[in-house]
Formats: sequence, C-alpha cells, structure tokens
Amino acid sequence: MGGKSCKDFPLPATNSLMSPSANHEPLFKTWLEEHRGIIIKVTRSFAPAPSDAADLQQELLLQIWLSLPSYARQAKPSTWIYRVCLNTALTWRRGTFRRERRIEPAADLAHIASDVASPADRAGARELLEKLYAAIRALPGSERALVLLSLDGLAYREIADITGLTENHVGVALTRARKHLAELMKGVTNELE
Amino acid sequence: MNWNDYETAWKCQELPVAAPADLTGLKDTFESKRRKMAATLFARDLIEGSAGLFVSGVYARMWWLIGKDAWPLALAIALMLGVSVFFIRERIRTHCNRLGPQTPLLAKLTADITELHHQRNLLLNLWKWYLGPITGAMGIFVLTMLRIAVLRIRSETLAMLWRHPLVWGLLLFTLIAATALIWFVWKLNRRAVQKQIEPRLVELEKLRADLLSAQ
Repeated sequence: MGGKSCKDFPLPATNSLMSPSANHEPLFKTWLEEHRGIIIKVTRSFAPAPSDAADLQQELLLQIWLSLPSYARQAKPSTWIYRVCLNTALTWRRGTFRRERRIEPAADLAHIASDVASPADRAGARELLEKLYAAIRALPGSERALVLLSLDGLAYREIADITGLTENHVGVALTRARKHLAELMKGVTNELE
Repeated sequence: MNWNDYETAWKCQELPVAAPADLTGLKDTFESKRRKMAATLFARDLIEGSAGLFVSGVYARMWWLIGKDAWPLALAIALMLGVSVFFIRERIRTHCNRLGPQTPLLAKLTADITELHHQRNLLLNLWKWYLGPITGAMGIFVLTMLRIAVLRIRSETLAMLWRHPLVWGLLLFTLIAATALIWFVWKLNRRAVQKQIEPRLVELEKLRADLLSAQ
C-alpha cells in the first residue's frame, strides 16, 4: 500500500451535514484503491445472495462517499472505512429494485494468490475460501463482523475502536464467534481433508 | 484445520484488480438519490409544516370576517399551530441527533434503536399530538359556525334549514368523511408501526444484544 495517505489531501471541513464536494474526490479515489479489500470482503461476507452483492457494494461506496465530509482524522482511514462498511452492511436491506444482473457465486473468488503452488492446491484453497465465506455468512451479524475483522488481522484494540466494545469484551465475543465458525466449518474441513 | 488455516486462506484471496466502482457513476447515483430525497423531504415538510399554518390562516381570516362572536376559533388556531410547531421541533430534533455510519457500531445501533423507539411512541400516541388537536380544531370550527348561524340567521330561516334533508345530508356526509379520514390516518400510522418500525426494532435490538451478550 504505497499510495498517498489521507494527510496528502486537503479536506475542506468536517461537518456531517455537508455534501461531498470535488475536493473530496482525490481522497475518495485513493481510499478506493488502498482499501477496496475491506469493501470487497464486507460485501462477500454480508450479501445474503451473490445477486445482492452489487447492490450492497454500491451502498457501501455510496455511504463512504456521503460520510467523507465527516471524516475528522480522529481514526485511521481503515478503521473509519470498516466502521462505515460494517454499519451499512449490518443494517442494510435488500433494495426493492434488485439488479437483474446475476453474479456467479464463485466468479469473484476465482483468483487465489499465486503463492499457492499447484492448480490442485489452488482449487483446494479456493474451495476452502468459498466454504469459509459461506460459514461467515451463516453467523449472526455481530459475530460476522468480529470474525471478519479478526481474519483481516486487526488487533483487539482496533476491533474495539470499530465496534465500540471494550477490549475485554472483544476477546470474549471473538472466542465465542470463532467457536461458532469452527462448528460451522467442521463438516467442511473433514471433506477437504 | 484451525483458525490459522482460515487466516492463511483468507490472506490468500486475491482481490479484483479494477476499482470497485467509478466515481462518475457513483456521483450520478448519489445525485439522483439526493435529488429524489430532497424533493420528498421538501414535499413532506411543506405539507406537514405549512398545512397547519394554512388552516390557521383560514380560521384567522374567518374570525376577522365574522368578528368577536367567532372568538372560539382562537382555540382552533392555537391547536393547529401547536401541531405545526411540534412537526418542526421533531424535524430539527431528528436532524440534530442523527449519527452517521462512521460512528462505532454499538453507538450507532444504540442511537438507531433509541430513535426507532421514539418514532414508535410518536406513532402509537398519534391521538395526543396530531389527531386529537386536529379533531379538536375541526370540532371547534364546526360548533363555532353553528353558533354563529344560530346567532345571525333569522329563526324562521334556521328552522326551515334544519328541516331540509340536504342540510342533514351535508352534515352527515361531513361527519362521515372526517371520521373516515381520521381513521385512515390512524390506520396508516399503525400499519407503519407494525410493518416497518417494529420488525426493524426487533432486528436492531437482536443485533445489539448479540454484540453485548458476552459482556
């Protein structure tokens, strides 16, 4: 992530009632580039069906764009984006006018990093990832958010910042969420092994 | 397989190379949503805020035309203005208390739940702050007009009018239409509570309870 940081861009003002302006565009574009992983992972974890993914993704982007004027640099950009995305995804409801375009369930998981050696290993890793996403989607909303943040390698402190929970509580809740995930993955991993 | 395997698989996922959306498309969507929302809010605020003011203006004009005998219309004006002021106060309160999605999850959920409880209470108590004052104002208006009629119309003409079926028919129609309108508004708001607010409240409270359950 060698792109420009948010400090390289002048922010007009911090007011939650403001609309985003042209001044916010460079920052928005940079964040999309640097943190698109968050948006994509949240979409994959929270869209109830693959056909809803495009709607949810658009909603996440829209909320980030709309909330940009209220970004006050009190939080790291990634923390701020996680907050916006998770708040939006947790309370998101499928749009009335669903898009007709269908997305194949595994189409966007087709790429697995090249450090997984053989095609067979790659296929296995892709299958595991698909099952992992399916298991995450089967978790209750709050556990889904915690598991996603933990899998992304965030520390308890950062997760606490995003969720508003205490660090101790994050630890307890995360242990429980991991246990649920392990139960959901049990049958799957037996198949894969 | 354990958590570390999941983490490894998670980190191995490659993300699409292209940015998830182009800014122009996003801005167009935002602009079109913003325009629609602004038009809807403007229409709602105009109807809610100005309807009471308009009716108050009509009552005031009638009071001025009729003279001091129509003094009870002052009460009707006060009731209608009260409804308008209540609407404006609510609009300002909602605007000031709104939390954006950049707030931590728990704080946002708590704020959303509090707001939904408030909305639910408002709609369940519609009689206290909306239907009651409006019905009261309408009742005062009708009774004042009848009183003026008794005072100002010659007794023979009045007796003739009371005997005319058209007058009774008109009074009955007005009564039924007003009752139907009030019932419709009440039903519409009840439906909004049952179909929209309560399911959403259950959903958000469950989410919050899940988040807090280990505490």
